[in-house]
Amino acid sequence: MERWHTHVLREKIDPSSMLIQGNRACALGALDAGVRFFAGYPITPSSEIMEAMAVELPKVGGVFLQMEDEIASICACIGGSLAGQLAMTATSGPGFSLMQEAIGYAIMVEAPLLIVDVMRAGPSTGRPTAPSQGDVMQARWGTHGDHPAVVLAASNVADMYRLTMAAVRFAQRFRTPVTLLADEVVGHMRESFAPELIDRYRLTSGDFDFSPSYIHPELVREVHPPHVLGSEAHPHVTGLIHDETGFPTNDPQKSEKFLRELYDKVGNHRDELCLYDVKNEGKGRVCIVAYGSCARSARAAWKLAEKEGLQVEVLHLYTLFPLPVEIIQKVARRVEFMLIPELNLGQYAREVRKMAENWTTVISMGKIDGTLITPREILDRVTELVGKYESV
Amino acid sequence: MSATAGAPGAGAGGGKAAQAARAERARASAVDRTGLLAGRDLVQVRFGGSGGQGVILMGVILAMAGARDHRFVVQTQSYGPEARGGYSRSDVIISDAQIDYPELEHADLLVALNQASADEYIRVLRSDGVLVYDSENVTAVPPFKGEQFGIPFTRLAFEETGRKQTANILTLGAVAGITGVVTAESLRKAVLVMVPAGTEEINSKALARGLALRDR
Amino acid sequence: MSEVLDIEQFLHTERLPHIWCPGCGNGIVTGAFLRAVLDLGLVREKTVVVGGIGCSSRAVGYIDLGTVHSIHGRALAFATGIKMARPDFTVVVLTGDGDGAAIGGNHFIHACRRNIDITCILFNNQTYGMTGGQVSPTMDPGDRGTTAPYGSIEPSFDLCRLAEAAGASFVARGIAANIRPLERLIKQGIQHKGFSFIEAVVPCPTEYGKRNPPAGVIAMLDDTKARSISVTAAAKMTPDELRDKIVTGILYEDDEAPEFQSAYAAIVERAQAGAAEAPARPKQPAAPRKPRKTAPERPPARNGEAADASGLPLEGGE
Repeated sequence: MERWHTHVLREKIDPSSMLIQGNRACALGALDAGVRFFAGYPITPSSEIMEAMAVELPKVGGVFLQMEDEIASICACIGGSLAGQLAMTATSGPGFSLMQEAIGYAIMVEAPLLIVDVMRAGPSTGRPTAPSQGDVMQARWGTHGDHPAVVLAASNVADMYRLTMAAVRFAQRFRTPVTLLADEVVGHMRESFAPELIDRYRLTSGDFDFSPSYIHPELVREVHPPHVLGSEAHPHVTGLIHDETGFPTNDPQKSEKFLRELYDKVGNHRDELCLYDVKNEGKGRVCIVAYGSCARSARAAWKLAEKEGLQVEVLHLYTLFPLPVEIIQKVARRVEFMLIPELNLGQYAREVRKMAENWTTVISMGKIDGTLITPREILDRVTELVGKYESV
Repeated sequence: MSATAGAPGAGAGGGKAAQAARAERARASAVDRTGLLAGRDLVQVRFGGSGGQGVILMGVILAMAGARDHRFVVQTQSYGPEARGGYSRSDVIISDAQIDYPELEHADLLVALNQASADEYIRVLRSDGVLVYDSENVTAVPPFKGEQFGIPFTRLAFEETGRKQTANILTLGAVAGITGVVTAESLRKAVLVMVPAGTEEINSKALARGLALRDR
Repeated sequence: MSEVLDIEQFLHTERLPHIWCPGCGNGIVTGAFLRAVLDLGLVREKTVVVGGIGCSSRAVGYIDLGTVHSIHGRALAFATGIKMARPDFTVVVLTGDGDGAAIGGNHFIHACRRNIDITCILFNNQTYGMTGGQVSPTMDPGDRGTTAPYGSIEPSFDLCRLAEAAGASFVARGIAANIRPLERLIKQGIQHKGFSFIEAVVPCPTEYGKRNPPAGVIAMLDDTKARSISVTAAAKMTPDELRDKIVTGILYEDDEAPEFQSAYAAIVERAQAGAAEAPARPKQPAAPRKPRKTAPERPPARNGEAADASGLPLEGGE
């Protein structure tokens, strides 16, 4: 068992006052979680993750590969994963698009994998150094066919460390690729960061266990017996729909059973997978539901509102998929409005609306100019809402 | 309020005890900070220049010094695709409290290394803020009524170390000396961590020269 | 016949019969590969075969070793990950001309360039068999496919020359019609430390043969056999004489070329010894490539001329 937080503590900075870049924190989180295989392709604004891995992985005997493109990168990762390595890649929108077919393969063959997407403004080449949250639905539905997805979103440098760890744990325990979404601001910013505080970071109403025992977590019961290359079973792995033997099947019943089990292994464990934090719980008529950089604006807006004598609730989501149905509906029952600030045109707001519209009015607040939504912009919208519709 | 223990909001939350200890250390460092902006519990700094002037590095070093003073810091940046030329800007927020919104809403301190950034960013500088600029690169100083310091950083750096490249470190010294946004001690340590190996000596000289400018 | 029984231990016999058409060369090459596995005494648990998508790649579904049926075109990328994760594995890629040279062409040249210790056996049947006889990058100009009803106007790849130019350190070609030499080449390729590329020319009577002469399985095999000549014989021939010929044997071999996985292991050693991240030694000019075993001019394509540039249908378009 490796010493916990080995890598982050090895940073040459005084641990009580660390300043780390988001992308570097992600690399350190991966190393501390036991990732020993990285294959990637350079792309702004994620390249610093890859560069950190190029330096650090050889030191711990891990594998670092710069492949010829993002398709090769994720395929090499799947190869590493099938051979028993904890594998990871990092990219941004254009590269993430290229990876989509292989992500479906990884889901199908139940290969644990971490994919970090540091989002930039798109579509296409877009604006490489401008933040965006435009890849949310790509992370959910980018690959073809019905499939489960586990998607987390980081809002600060500490998240880049601890959610990377959480993502690795989920990938192992559920044997599926997990996507960690960040954005250009979170990836490139440097922020004070105290590793000694990580163990007890609050991620849900309960505490997420970051103790060392999380390495090699038990598989959830719905996972099919893993086929690991090099094992005595000399397995067969295929992207065709297959049964538990690993060989393809055309039997309709077996096909449906297999696909439903893939779904269920994620859907049945939302209580474990859905990480979130509620601020100013039960106060005010409006709840700001936010993730990533926008959650920081939402928190600032809440504090600004308080100064101005207005109460708002904040629901900060760390897990976007599987959908955190329970907490969304719980909050929806007690507020009049749910305001969703996002750096896209309402991709996640549509999801929230599906879950919450029976109880509350869901309002999307999208921005796609390549800048963050400011706390003042959010507060202005909140004030407008509560002013326009007097409380009944 | 649930915003305290363990809240991950601004990067470095943690238990109440850890927070109290951090606040205590921050207060201790505050004693060593003197200058025009030393008394503010939240300082927003913008460095502007062209690519290759070391603007981003300046922001990183200042942020690291702020972290060494046990305060909360966030450093962000914006730059064009060019490695040389083009625009470059680096923002630092230093605060006694957790920082939620990571970008500047306005600046308390603007450090402009070229004419374009002085012209462009003067509008974000608060009227009670401080303007520091390289007087040889910024020849037409934009109208600003507050405290301002035009200093020929590049020339001074060349005189002091024989290398124009040390101008950014010299500028940082001047900024810290004049405004007190970070302690000289933390800045010294941050410079030594961040400058390329083998340049510690000349950069220390540049830093000392910059810090001494407060007395002029 | 005992040899046949012997290779059964490496076959999922319960999954037979296979999907290949009568007269297809894929089974012949798969058999040759399995006899090589047998002869070399490869350890079952440490031998991994990766296929892409297509007729050739379906072989992995019948082989009882560690097998990965991956994504179209990406077999070499998967294999690279597997080899790097487990350097002790023998990793073999079974691919085709569409899978390996069209959609997977980029991975192909980069795997060659890295010279990673993987053996790639490419079944070249000059068409897409599984999807119904479309034009492949090894189809000769003038040949017909379902997507070239008037004849293909694209020049074709000589994959062995491509592999060699890209940096593969073992390059060979064999034909399904002459199985023993092919088997030997596969064996040598697996034994070779570095990237080994073996092109196996196979007949596709169903999709290629029915649109292009000569028709019929036996005629196709005979034709390939008649046109194949050894690399030593080819060295003495003029480009004109080499027209239409299939040059077989080891076309290029360099046992000294640095292998990727070993080079990476050396990096790990240096990093663990605390070496600086910066390159420790001055940049040196790359060592000259070993000269070709033979340097025949590129033989002109079999059907010589390109299709009618006017775009009008040639005689008998489907």
